[in-house]
Amino acid sequence: MTATGLRIIAKKEFSDHLRSRRFHLLFAILVIIAAVGMITGIVQYTKDLSDYNSVQMIAQDEDDPTLAGNLAGLKPSILSAYSQMGMLMAGIGVVLGIARGFDLVTREKESKSLKSLLAYPVFRDEVINGKALGGVGAIALAMGVVLVVSVAIMTILGIVPNFDEFVRILVFGGVSFLLVFTFFALALLMSTVSKDSGSALLYSLIVMIVLSSFIPIFAYGPVYSAVFGDTPTQPGMATYSYQQGSSAYMVTTTKVGVQASDAIDPEALKEYERASREYMAQKQAITDLVTLVSPTGNYQAVLGAAAQPAGDNDPGLSSLLGVLACNIIALLAMPAAFFGLAWVRFMREDIR
Amino acid sequence: MISCDHLTKVYNGAGKSTTILMLVGLIQPTSGACYIDGTEVAAHPIEVKKKIGYMPEDVGFYADRTAEENLDYAARFYGLKDDERKRRVDDLLALVGLDGVGTKVGGYSKGMRQRLGLARALVNDPAVVILDEPTANLDPRGVLDYRRIVRDLADRGTTVLVSSHILSEVGKVCTSVGILARGRLIASGDREVLSRAAMQDKVVIDVDTMTPMPRITNPEILSAEYSQDSCSARIVARGDISALIAKTPYAEGILPRRLAVEKPDMEDILLSYYTEGTA
Repeated sequence: MTATGLRIIAKKEFSDHLRSRRFHLLFAILVIIAAVGMITGIVQYTKDLSDYNSVQMIAQDEDDPTLAGNLAGLKPSILSAYSQMGMLMAGIGVVLGIARGFDLVTREKESKSLKSLLAYPVFRDEVINGKALGGVGAIALAMGVVLVVSVAIMTILGIVPNFDEFVRILVFGGVSFLLVFTFFALALLMSTVSKDSGSALLYSLIVMIVLSSFIPIFAYGPVYSAVFGDTPTQPGMATYSYQQGSSAYMVTTTKVGVQASDAIDPEALKEYERASREYMAQKQAITDLVTLVSPTGNYQAVLGAAAQPAGDNDPGLSSLLGVLACNIIALLAMPAAFFGLAWVRFMREDIR
Repeated sequence: MISCDHLTKVYNGAGKSTTILMLVGLIQPTSGACYIDGTEVAAHPIEVKKKIGYMPEDVGFYADRTAEENLDYAARFYGLKDDERKRRVDDLLALVGLDGVGTKVGGYSKGMRQRLGLARALVNDPAVVILDEPTANLDPRGVLDYRRIVRDLADRGTTVLVSSHILSEVGKVCTSVGILARGRLIASGDREVLSRAAMQDKVVIDVDTMTPMPRITNPEILSAEYSQDSCSARIVARGDISALIAKTPYAEGILPRRLAVEKPDMEDILLSYYTEGTA
């Protein structure tokens, strides 16, 4: 068996994506967002770096190695620009993925070209695989251009990432691609189960909203408290509030409004601490679990870790990725599951 | 060259479109098997697809591409080299009268799409061409072109399977006919042979009388239409019972105005077989 049919279909699909006005529009928005996000990030990075250098100078002038040492781990990184860009990408990238996938099969049904296509000497799996490959190629091209544009802007503005930062930028590109591919695969699945493109788009958007909004609301919001109860109340009425002010990476914390307790029962406090720990551990476990079924949740978890500024206390990218292995596996598994379902549905579809 | 055995359990109408979909490998028979040129379709779909050209009833194309691009895309699946493909596409567009039309297929009329569908079915120079309702949207000129193309193909030794409900068209281009009713092939063979077998003794008798005639009963009579006053009748009989029919009114002094034997057309053949097949 040769893959001639697969290659022909993938090439045609890739070409269709590149010729599509929808793709042009979304691609332009994506590049503009990347460029704007990067420029904004670089401006902030330059300002933060300037602040950081000023503090370093002060520390040197005052000959206070402790102050310098404390600040050393907080040196700003260009990766913060990618963190900002990633937040924007999570929105437009999802739209790009759905826009490229929702009518891949329904369009063929509507134009009645599917019957002819399947009458050519081609296996049915080559058709769905070719369509997916063409879409993946177009998405990869878009994401690649975004990365190149971002690095080019950095370079033009005189910022050269070091090796570690460069690897993290590639990780950013990789997980962004996976996020877009996840929604592309979802839309492809909806395209195989729907009779027309309108329905496929609607179903894709509904699932996207559930995965991107409803699930995080459950994980982080009031729904969680409603289901599992509120945080345990601290005995003794001692309340603390903190006000944080930050300038660059210099953090100042000031206690305000402290109320001293008249008499705190040590046993009650111990019980509160235990209950609080259990509550937080349970919340964390459920949040982590629920996040795994949200592609945007996984994306933000990995992106947040990858875009952390590297300091002395930084555990290193490989360690971070190890900690986030579940999120990364989920990011790989979800598009695979969507595509697998689309594949099975298409293979079993009655073409008349 | 083409055969289908035991095509049972098909779920729509007479089953001709379903039969075609099985022949081109788009659906699997629930029992039995389809063969094209001795090759079983379900077992060797790619091998079969390379031999056939198929034009579906509801022919579809990529609307945002030109006729040339659509044909070129189809030709790629048959492994034609670039120059060969270009030549083949140009020849086919000229054959169906679409050469020089540079607009995208989305702007084509139904007739133009039908012509393009015929061209696409021939893109691999197939040994077997399967056409489902090929003249449904063609104008008279298009129908003439279609007949010419089908005859040329047949002259070159290509088997052309035409599925159509326009029976006059089938009669004009087909040498062999198969009749499907409720998923079963109830008759097949040479058109003339089928015609003779089905209708060779058909007798049409027109009778006019001065006074109302009695109803004629005979087991060979297929149908009899009497006027309201029973002074005229049109009788169709399976066998040659003209003498008997003529004798009956004549004996009562009634002269038949006309007694004629007509050559059956395709509709007569089909109706005859269908009546028997569904009886």
